[in-house]
Formats: sequence, structure tokens, C-alpha cells
Amino acid sequence: MSQGVSQPDYTPVLELREAVPIFDEEGLSPLKYTLAVEPGDCVFIESRDDLQTAQFTNLCAGILPIGSGKVRCMGLEWQALDERRAHALRGRIGRISEDSGWIDLYGMHLNILWPRLHHSRSSYAKLVEEAVALALRFGLPGLPTQLPERLSALDRKRAEYVRAFMGRPSLLLLENPLSLAAPKELYNAFLSELTAARERGCAVVWIGAERSAWSGYAQPNMQKFRLGDNGLIEVRGV
Amino acid sequence: MNLPERFTLIHRGLAVLGRFTRAQPRFFLLMVGGGWGVFCEAVRPSSWRRTVRIEFWRSLRQLIGGGFVSTVVVAFITGLGLVSQAVYWLGFAGLAQKTGGILSSVLLREIAPVLVGVILLGRSGMLMLADMGNLTTQGRLNTLNGMGIDPFLVFVVPRSIAMTLSAFTLGILFSVIALTMGYVACWVEGIVTVSVWSFIFEVINSMQPGDYIGIPLKFFMSGFAVGLCCCLSGLDVTAEDNLTTMLPRGFSRGMMSILAINVLVDIILGSV
Repeated sequence: MSQGVSQPDYTPVLELREAVPIFDEEGLSPLKYTLAVEPGDCVFIESRDDLQTAQFTNLCAGILPIGSGKVRCMGLEWQALDERRAHALRGRIGRISEDSGWIDLYGMHLNILWPRLHHSRSSYAKLVEEAVALALRFGLPGLPTQLPERLSALDRKRAEYVRAFMGRPSLLLLENPLSLAAPKELYNAFLSELTAARERGCAVVWIGAERSAWSGYAQPNMQKFRLGDNGLIEVRGV
Repeated sequence: MNLPERFTLIHRGLAVLGRFTRAQPRFFLLMVGGGWGVFCEAVRPSSWRRTVRIEFWRSLRQLIGGGFVSTVVVAFITGLGLVSQAVYWLGFAGLAQKTGGILSSVLLREIAPVLVGVILLGRSGMLMLADMGNLTTQGRLNTLNGMGIDPFLVFVVPRSIAMTLSAFTLGILFSVIALTMGYVACWVEGIVTVSVWSFIFEVINSMQPGDYIGIPLKFFMSGFAVGLCCCLSGLDVTAEDNLTTMLPRGFSRGMMSILAINVLVDIILGSV
């Protein structure tokens, strides 16, 4: 009877199993980090140190080397992958980082499309269509073509959301994605897009300095942590 | 001074010597490794993704479009000065029959690759170096890496290949314009009476079989070395570097590369 019925996949999209990063004078402490994020899960991590935040997301993305333990993404262990496969796997991750990484040599439209142009074979027209739809949802009038430096900080943030959600990522690593000063429409658009992504099975790691940024979205059953010099410590309650 | 103090002194001296010795070939080894990496990536069809192709065409347009006027002007001046003087003095010395040989060996084989390399280095290579240096110091390349985009693949490979092709294109353009202008200058002065085709034929006829490989090879390799050198110099910057330290270092490395390639090809092909 049960033959042919697909079972839901509960393999964690992101799994850190006692992973100890190699300590480089500053940043993440060389302690054991353990975390499991299943499809559709949203994990909140409070971190007040920007360097630790950036290094933790790099640890999750297999960029920061580890001395012991394991870091798995979509069931694949970063350390066991060669460079090309690791880059391809990172193509399935949507990221928002402190340094947005805009390349000033290209217009914003190319900057937004860049990861999908690199990792996918979807036609340019199809990618533009997807980007325009997302841009409109985040309050941009369309896909901006100016150089990134010509856009306002708010529009650059909107463009960053578009880039992160492009291509239906399997994992979202979000470093301080929301500022409380952001317009309410943008806040709502971001949260509704985040919910839609989670419903598709995307796992989310939201790292922020301010707990209040996610307090309106967090549910009691969601995992919450605090990242600091003592490592990653689970926090009970909102 | 007691024995342990002497050992400490010797130890420090050896450490300084070792650091100095290792630092000298470091960039050369970086170039060798980078060159091999570009070759391996360039021959793999899956490397030529849309992002790489976009960067390749953008660089090629910038390199050839940006270097075109400079190349034409320098070729014009070289033709008027060097070629007409060579033709005049060789005729004066009764060595007019050697004109083709001397022009092919001096202008085409030695001067053109160096001048085109210098034009590319100054006009576009420095821009490339500043771009790469800024992207590195601002941490943009790390962000790209975090999105699964290899900066070496999307910047170094297409830029080095574009520089290689543009050096060849501009080199051929330079040679043709310099020879033509030299002929025109001599014809106006009444120094040569043969047609332009006979003049060009004489130059081509005096080329050795090795020149047909050596001259294009010099153009290709000079361009490749300049492109790779500028990209790697940009990637190799530290947080303390800025434009005032990056550019002179990149320029001297680029010049060294151009001259080394010229000498190396001459030695390999037995032209010296």
C-alpha cells in the first residue's frame, strides 16, 4: 500500500556536528558547534559580533576550515567535496551578508542575476522574468540597471533580497537581513517571501544582532541560539 | 658573546636569508601556477559559463577598443621615425637589400611585441590591477566565493585570455601600420621607388620560418603574461596596500614579464 508514496525528506539541509573551526587569532572561538536545520526550519541566532557572524555563516557554507567534526549541507560533507562541487553546492544557498559584495563593474541587474547566470542553465529571459517579479514584490519598480553605487542603501537592500531569493535556494544564510528602520512594507514583503521559501522546503539560518528584528516572526517551537565567545548556546523562549 | 647567543644570532641571520630567498621567486611561482590554472580552466568547456563569457567579452571590448587608438598612434610614430630612418640609412650605407631583413628582425620581432605589451600594460593592465585590488581589499571576492562563484574562474581566466587575444590583434595592427607608415614616409621623400606591395613582400620574404611562430607567440605570450600578472598582482594585495603601492609593483612586474617573455622566446627559437 505504501509503495509509490513518497516519504518526506527529513535529512537536515544544514548540519554542524561538533564542528571545531580553526582559530585565527580572532573571530569564532575554537569550540564544538552543533546545529541541525531541517527543510522548512528557521533557526535564529543572536550574535553581536560582526566578525563572528560572518565567520559562522562561512562555516555553514563550507568556507571556513574546520579542525574536527563535520559540516554537512544537503547531506554532503563540505570537506569531502572537491572545489568545483563545493562551489556548485554553494550555488544552492541564498545569502545576505554584511558586505553585499556588489561588483561595481556591472549594473545592478547583472549583479542580481550573476549567481543564477553562473550556476544555472535557465534562459536569460526566464531569469530576468523571475528577478523582475521578485523586485516588484520587494518594492523596486523593476530590475535596476544602474551601477550599485548609484542606488540608495534601501534599494540596494531590496536588490540583495532579490538576489538571495532567486533560483529557489535550498538554504538561506541571512546575516542581519532586517533593520528595524526598514519600511514596514519591505519588512512584510521579506517575511512573506521567507515564509513562502520555507513552505517550499528551504531551511533558514537567520543571524542578527537584534532579537527584536525577528521577534514578530519567531514561533515558540523554532530553535534559537546565541553566538559568542562561549560558542553556540541554545536559548529557550523568544 | 657566549655560545647560545651566537646560535641565536646565526639562527636569526639564516631566518632573514631564508625569508628573502623565499620571497624572491614567490610571485614567479604564483605566475607559473596561475598560468597553468588558466590553461586548465580555459580548455574545459564547462568553465565557459555565462558569467565567464560576459566578463570575457567585456574585457575584450575594453582591451581592444581602449588600446586601439594608442596602438595606431604609436605605430604611426614608429613607422615615421624608425622605419623611414632605417630605410634611409640602409640605403645611404648601400645596404638597401637588407632593409626587409632588418625591419622584420628589429621591428616585427623585437619592438612590436614590447611596445604592444607596454601599451596594454599601461592602458588596460593597470586598470585591471586596480579593479582586482579593490575587489580584493573590499572583500567582494570573498562574498563571490560565498555564493559559489570562483573569482579565479570569473575574473582571472577571461581577462587573461582576452588580454592574450587583444595583444595578438593589436600587435598585427601595429606591425601593418608601422610598416605602411614607414613606406609612405620614404615614398614621400623619394627614398623608395618600389610599390607598397613590393616593400611588404620584401619584409615578409626576409622573415625566417621561425619568425612565423616566434612573432605571434611573442604577441600571445606577452599579452597572457601581462593579463595574468595584473590579475594576480590584484589578488595578491594585502589590507595595507593601496593604489600607490599596488600600481608601481604591478607595473614593474608587468614590464619584467614582457621583457622576460621576449628574451625567452628568442632563446627558445634561437633568434639570439
